[in-house]
Amino acid sequence: MMLTLLVLPALIMFIVSFFKNKKAKFLLPVSSFAILLPIIELFVLPKPYAIAGSYLVADKLDTYILLVSSIVGIGVTLALLTLDKHVKVSANAYRRFYRFFAIFWVGLSISILSNHMGIYWIGLELATLSTVYMIKTNHTRAAHKEAWNYMIVGAIAISLVLFGIILMYASAKPILGEEAMQFDLLLSHAKEIPSPFLFEMGFAIATVGMFVKMGFFPMNLWLANIERASFYPVAALFSGILESAVLIGFFRFSQIAMEINYAHLYGFVFVYTLLTIFIVSFLIFRAKDFMRLFSLSGIEHMALIVLFWVSGGTFAALLHFGAHAFLKPALFLSTGVLESNGKYRIAGALRGYRGKKGTLFWFLVSLFLLAIISLPPSPMFFSELYGFGAMMETAKHSDHMLAMIAAILLLLILLSVIFYRFVAIYQSMKYEGKEEEKKVYASELFALVIFALCLAALMLPASLDYLRSIA
Amino acid sequence: MVDFLIGLFLATLIVALFTSRLYRLILWYSMNSLILGLLALVIGRTLDDKAMLITGIATILIKAIGIPYLLKNLSSKFHFVRQIQPEIKVQYAIILIPAILVFTFYLAEPITHMIHGNANYIAISISSLFLSLLLMMEHRNVAPKIIGFLSMENALFLLGITATDGMPMLVELGIFFDLLMAIVVINLLFHNEEANL
Repeated sequence: MMLTLLVLPALIMFIVSFFKNKKAKFLLPVSSFAILLPIIELFVLPKPYAIAGSYLVADKLDTYILLVSSIVGIGVTLALLTLDKHVKVSANAYRRFYRFFAIFWVGLSISILSNHMGIYWIGLELATLSTVYMIKTNHTRAAHKEAWNYMIVGAIAISLVLFGIILMYASAKPILGEEAMQFDLLLSHAKEIPSPFLFEMGFAIATVGMFVKMGFFPMNLWLANIERASFYPVAALFSGILESAVLIGFFRFSQIAMEINYAHLYGFVFVYTLLTIFIVSFLIFRAKDFMRLFSLSGIEHMALIVLFWVSGGTFAALLHFGAHAFLKPALFLSTGVLESNGKYRIAGALRGYRGKKGTLFWFLVSLFLLAIISLPPSPMFFSELYGFGAMMETAKHSDHMLAMIAAILLLLILLSVIFYRFVAIYQSMKYEGKEEEKKVYASELFALVIFALCLAALMLPASLDYLRSIA
Repeated sequence: MVDFLIGLFLATLIVALFTSRLYRLILWYSMNSLILGLLALVIGRTLDDKAMLITGIATILIKAIGIPYLLKNLSSKFHFVRQIQPEIKVQYAIILIPAILVFTFYLAEPITHMIHGNANYIAISISSLFLSLLLMMEHRNVAPKIIGFLSMENALFLLGITATDGMPMLVELGIFFDLLMAIVVINLLFHNEEANL
């Protein structure tokens, strides 16, 4: 029953996307709102809640990630209502975008709720493939090229994930049989796995696949180029939803790997994320347009989430994840307005918004821009404090305290570079350039208000308690 | 029999790397998939695993017949470039391919001690994965890259049936479904004009 409720809105969206009536366009965001209802019900139900046997099981972690993703989905569909006001898009392409969004949502729900490595992979692959066509909705040569790029690099990344899954499965099959695919069983029997080296090798390969998919080293510009070439809602979906599905996979795999050999896992992930942030911070420093700037900043935040998670800062990682999932899509959707009609100018981008709607728009964009660089009282400020605290705590139990202090200092320097660049861009947007009258539409503003409210709700004591209870 | 088929599987992939004609490449992919399907049937019969037998039949029907037929149709419909000269020259490829094979046998050495059955199968699966990646890299055109991606799926499948004695049926069917979805997306990507759809 719950599975039907979760899939039904996507099915309605898929069917409605075939209607050629102009009013059908308004039914699509309504159906995306309907996604929220079963997820709210999932929150109330006792956990873990079996949705489809032992294959799909809702626990506190995946319910939280699903809720965040569904809110992002609603925001994106609201902003989609005025897509044709900012970019050239045909009615056919618009409807097809929704058709693939529905498939994307089904794949995503499956991968987030899965308690099974194989089903997780199937869901992720389905979500990945459906986004390929969303990139192609933009009928430009660059988008066409990037759609192929995404298809091929995405396929390599996802194949690496499957390769890793097969090795992990092979390592645990002697003791668990066909049930060696289940996350919960793997976690409870992690210490009994007869060939831990095989599991670790599988984990490392799957992790590299997931990191490539999130744009980590050495594929830092891969996602940025794709997001630049496609329409802005695609970038919002990537940063707010697709990366959540990849992250939950990493969370699940790493929980098991932590039980097997924590030192190996920590060393591998630590070096990888540090290297990624090092490169990304300098790429951000050189970024000359909003899309690339936000996209690269997304990689930086994903790396921080991963780092906090493996450091044992589960609360910090989840708080950072939630804040990023609301902030980044909000910024990408704002980019659609800021870059209306193909104007990529940063100088003066926030000037010329008049009236109540205009004022609210520039205020919200300023808020998001400053929140993404962890300026207090942004949830990211607190999550970073807790995250660095968790890193120090991990170092206390090892002989590498000095190395950890040095690493944190290096991270702070790199984050300062990013902070400096964002502040400079904000000042240029607000105080430089010509002032031309610009327009913002109610539906996209409504989407931004939803994200701002959710960000505030994330800081409520009840929300923080919920995140602590996951930890 | 299994050794013979695995040898053939690797041989078809190596030949595909030297192919400079698109239709011939599709044929080698089809052969590669056919051998994979036969392998699943042979191993499935030995293990008396019905799920693997079904997978073997599905592999032959979908990967060895369906997808090559579809690719050939797409090729004539969208006028693909059929002369596909690999970027890596033959003399270098002759050195590179054995190097990959030796490297993967060396790489798989620690794993092979932990797996029951014939350990070399794992090494061949990993080398097939690398060779498929090479196939994707050595061509500029999209069509051979797609075949490289499909060969990569075959390599993963080989790893699945040799390292784990077959994955759960549900997962294998899911992978097939995703593969079909990939073909649909590839088909859509080739349509430049919306009106054609």
